[in-house]
Amino acid sequence: MKGERLVILGNGGAAIAAARAARTSGHNGEIHIVSDTNTPAFNPMLSPYYLKRIIPWENCFPFGQRFYNDYAVHLHGDSPVESLDTARQQVTLARRGKLSYDKCLIATGASPFIPPIPGLRSSPRSLPLRTASSVRSLEKAIGSAQRMLVLGASLVGLKVAEILRKRGIDVILLDVVDQILPRNAHPSSAALLAAYFEEHGVHVRLGCALEGMEGATDRVTCHFPEGILEEVDFVAVCTGVRPNLDFVRDQVEIKQAVVADEGMRTSIANLYAAGDVSQGINPLSGEYEWLGTWGNACIQGRVAGYNMAGLDIACPGSIQQNISPFFGWTYAQLGNVHPQGEDVRSIIFGDPRREGHFVLVFQRDVLVGANLINCTQLAGKLRWAIVRKTCWKDYLSQGDEGFTTYAIEKILNETAYGVSEIGLIGSSRKPRRIFS
Amino acid sequence: MSQYAFSFDVSRCSGCMACVVACQDQNDFVADETVAFRHVTKYEEGEYPSARISYFSLACQQCGDAPCIIVCPAGAISRRQEDGTVLVNRDLCVGCHSCELACPFGAPKFPEDGKMAKCDLCVTRREYGMKPACVRVCPAQALDVGPIEELSKKKAEKASIAILKSLIFVSPKDV
Repeated sequence: MKGERLVILGNGGAAIAAARAARTSGHNGEIHIVSDTNTPAFNPMLSPYYLKRIIPWENCFPFGQRFYNDYAVHLHGDSPVESLDTARQQVTLARRGKLSYDKCLIATGASPFIPPIPGLRSSPRSLPLRTASSVRSLEKAIGSAQRMLVLGASLVGLKVAEILRKRGIDVILLDVVDQILPRNAHPSSAALLAAYFEEHGVHVRLGCALEGMEGATDRVTCHFPEGILEEVDFVAVCTGVRPNLDFVRDQVEIKQAVVADEGMRTSIANLYAAGDVSQGINPLSGEYEWLGTWGNACIQGRVAGYNMAGLDIACPGSIQQNISPFFGWTYAQLGNVHPQGEDVRSIIFGDPRREGHFVLVFQRDVLVGANLINCTQLAGKLRWAIVRKTCWKDYLSQGDEGFTTYAIEKILNETAYGVSEIGLIGSSRKPRRIFS
Repeated sequence: MSQYAFSFDVSRCSGCMACVVACQDQNDFVADETVAFRHVTKYEEGEYPSARISYFSLACQQCGDAPCIIVCPAGAISRRQEDGTVLVNRDLCVGCHSCELACPFGAPKFPEDGKMAKCDLCVTRREYGMKPACVRVCPAQALDVGPIEELSKKKAEKASIAILKSLIFVSPKDV
């Protein structure tokens, strides 16, 4: 086990975490990281902070070249994976030939999805944001643009709109759905954020599709419904990402992404998957879900690294979660704010300009999701309460009006240090008034 | 390496908040700001006539396998080898709040500059042989600091351990 050759496909958060975990747990065989670029690991999550001029360019590569020396990792740069032969345990790399492995981790991440809108995919003026080179392209565009369209009011779309506005560009933020952050925000939080973006000069257009795009040498014309035309300099495409798994598509179990068990093992022996290319267990739903975040990738990568080195570690799974500052506000999303089924109840209260705005979503009295604006000091505790499936039956029976920041903190203390977990639903414990 | 930590005796704490004020003073926070690295929360139990109130004084737990270190995208959080203190390099912090989401204790704080700051067990005071400000000031001696193996089990605040165990992080040494 200890002398085995580990090959890690990809060079992002999951790959780095896996290599580090394998080495720190005593693995003394070769570790190879295969990358399609010639740079050390790039963190796309940091690019908005570079574009906002908070950090210099080199900080977007948080591990630096030093990591590979410190952990004795062979980095194969500029070597995209052409194919993976799981039967022979062999990877074919472009320009580098074949590389055999004893254990292999797929950590190839994800790429931006560009919707099939006429003219969008072919235009040099449509800019996705993900890789280091795409960040450089956007940076260059910002230098010359006066007006830009941000396609997709996703979390990345909101970040890009904020950056562009702060850099003095006229911005249209567009989404086909009639609220911003359609996947992860409750309508009430989404409405507050949309109004706040409008206050900062972002033109928010919701429920509106981009029907086509015509390129010109210096500007593009965007076609909207009812014949409306808008001229912009560039279109920032923020319509989500898709896992990079074409090279393994027919060999391993795939749903949305490569399915990995608690130990990040795929359906094929000696093949692991972690990060944005994989889907692991969501403890909330018990389902295999694709949850692409940096933190999740690092945790999954670490578990995969330990297990490739011969240990037997289980990944705790993760819930949907995001947190981000926008124009001075901080927004967090936890768990599922759009649960399907019966007995769903939402508690909404608070002003983001004062004590903060809370949306707490319950299903059968169990906390399943939350949105927070400017009260994210409770985000970690609420996350924990969601993962533990805490039951709030006693508190919910007392009505909505008593919910305040103070009351929430008090409940979280009780659920943390007390006993009101899901296993005690229907217990003989009497409801207690807590909003006194 | 000896892992340093706080111990907290819940039976001694009266919720006087002296530790919070001492923390604000030590770290030069303005008194009317809500930011302090230590906070005290209340836990109520039972019904009249046997109702009981306990107070928990909590700061960063310097977790053995700290989730904030794992999720920090900028590599700004690290562990000091000498005593296991979890430190933040504010030059690298981008203020993304990822650590705030990962920490089950609410330890990361964000003062006006938007970057994370948190309890470092008063690392500078300890270098000069002094105890952290909160420990020194606690009139009931509910708080103490030291190598984790030396801290009395009776005094150790068990809730934090329970939370961590239930949470996530397993390291090879636990296997």
